Amino acid sequence: MADCRISPDAQKIDLSFAKEIYALENGSSIKLCMNCGVCVVSCAAMAEMEYAPRRLFNLIKVGKKNEVLKSNTMWMCTSCCTCKARCPRGIPIIDVMHDLKKYCIDKGYVSFPQAEFYQAFWNEMQKFGRVYEGNLMKNYLLKKGLIYAIKKGLEMKDMGMDMVKHGRMPIMQMLPFVSPPKIKGMQSLSSIIAKAQSQQKEAK
Amino acid sequence: MRYSFYPGCSMEGAAKPYLKSIEAVAGALDMQIEEIQDWNCCGATIASGVVGDYTQQVVTARNLALAEAKGNDILVGCSSCYLSLATTNKRFQEDEHFARMANEALAAGGLKYNGTIRVRQFLEALISDIGLEKIKARVKKPLTGLKVAGYVGCQTVRALPWEFDDPENPVFLDKLIETLGATAVPFPMKARCCGSSQAVAAPEVVLSYGKNILNSASAGGAQLIVTPCPMCQLNLEAYQGQVNKTYQTNFSLPVLFFTQLMSVAFDLGPAAAGLNYLIVPAEKALGSFAR
Repeated sequence: MADCRISPDAQKIDLSFAKEIYALENGSSIKLCMNCGVCVVSCAAMAEMEYAPRRLFNLIKVGKKNEVLKSNTMWMCTSCCTCKARCPRGIPIIDVMHDLKKYCIDKGYVSFPQAEFYQAFWNEMQKFGRVYEGNLMKNYLLKKGLIYAIKKGLEMKDMGMDMVKHGRMPIMQMLPFVSPPKIKGMQSLSSIIAKAQSQQKEAK
Repeated sequence: MRYSFYPGCSMEGAAKPYLKSIEAVAGALDMQIEEIQDWNCCGATIASGVVGDYTQQVVTARNLALAEAKGNDILVGCSSCYLSLATTNKRFQEDEHFARMANEALAAGGLKYNGTIRVRQFLEALISDIGLEKIKARVKKPLTGLKVAGYVGCQTVRALPWEFDDPENPVFLDKLIETLGATAVPFPMKARCCGSSQAVAAPEVVLSYGKNILNSASAGGAQLIVTPCPMCQLNLEAYQGQVNKTYQTNFSLPVLFFTQLMSVAFDLGPAAAGLNYLIVPAEKALGSFAR
């Protein structure tokens, strides 16, 4: 585990990474963290996380870019909002985690399966306007390769069959080359998305 | 009372019984709910991790804009949709700069949102607008003796903490359970996370959280669990078999949407209750109430 205290050796900290993170939508709120540890004891996914949120924030502050971007912390966050509801400094921690996920994807740090799932989810949304669970699962698994898809598909077959049998997942969606319908206002939605993304780029 | 209704993607798939029972319960309580025409996905707590809060909120706002002409509050059942829609709505109402920018983006799609309507959780609207007394009066089959664990989950009460109910120790759902004549059992994990979408990328996480939550409900003596959240329902129910396999447990706890239990107590018939959609059957726990 990386040491997230400021190094005992006298050295100048490279602030360029921290500044990039502070510039993200909710990034500047990291500066409010006083290391009280309420997020640590609140977090549902603490046992799974490499660094607690406050430790991750410290790593950002001291410029440990690699440790931050390669850590699983943001990817294990389930957005349960417990830390956000409790943080005495009012840091919207789950939203900071969303920013960090986006930053990781933008910079190509996508080795965690969650990163692929997130991208598959967004693809589904911008293509059809809605997310179809069966189709999403299919495309997420195929993104990871055909062999993986078949292996995982077999592992999950009991549950999948249960869902199909009880009318909660149309089997059509699971078939390759079958696409779900688009919303009627797809063109309008696409224009809205394009405009929002260009605004976000301009704001940088 | 009239409302706009945002079902969300899950109600077209895994949470179908939620949709059916919401429609039936609303009808029984004289709530006119009208689905927002051609609504789009809200992005849950996923899209912002790819495109950022701003773009997700603008995409979500398309739904608010589509609903605004009617002037009615929007009711949302899914907790994640609620988080997304309610947070976006709040931002429209409180952040002028955001509202201006977002409206520029919406204009690209021929839409505008003025921030004039409210986004409400279906559970909250039931209790605040209809009231427990009126709900009680509608009960045809009081669920006397039935022990129910009310699993609220996370985002229903913590999306906008203190807007309604207690974000740490919620009571709305328990009160509703008791109004139906059932007993709400003590359930310390009722607002703890089920693992949410880790179900896809890291299912072992969901199995371990699920085991703890099912344990907590069982320890309180629950015969079944009810929830307002599609993700919670899916993780606790559809994964229950895998929990049993992984941890050598033998849970057989039905997990219903709370509106399904209301449909049973209101005696609205099998199509409204939608028990046939459940993977862990509820007939045994419900006994004569289900007949």
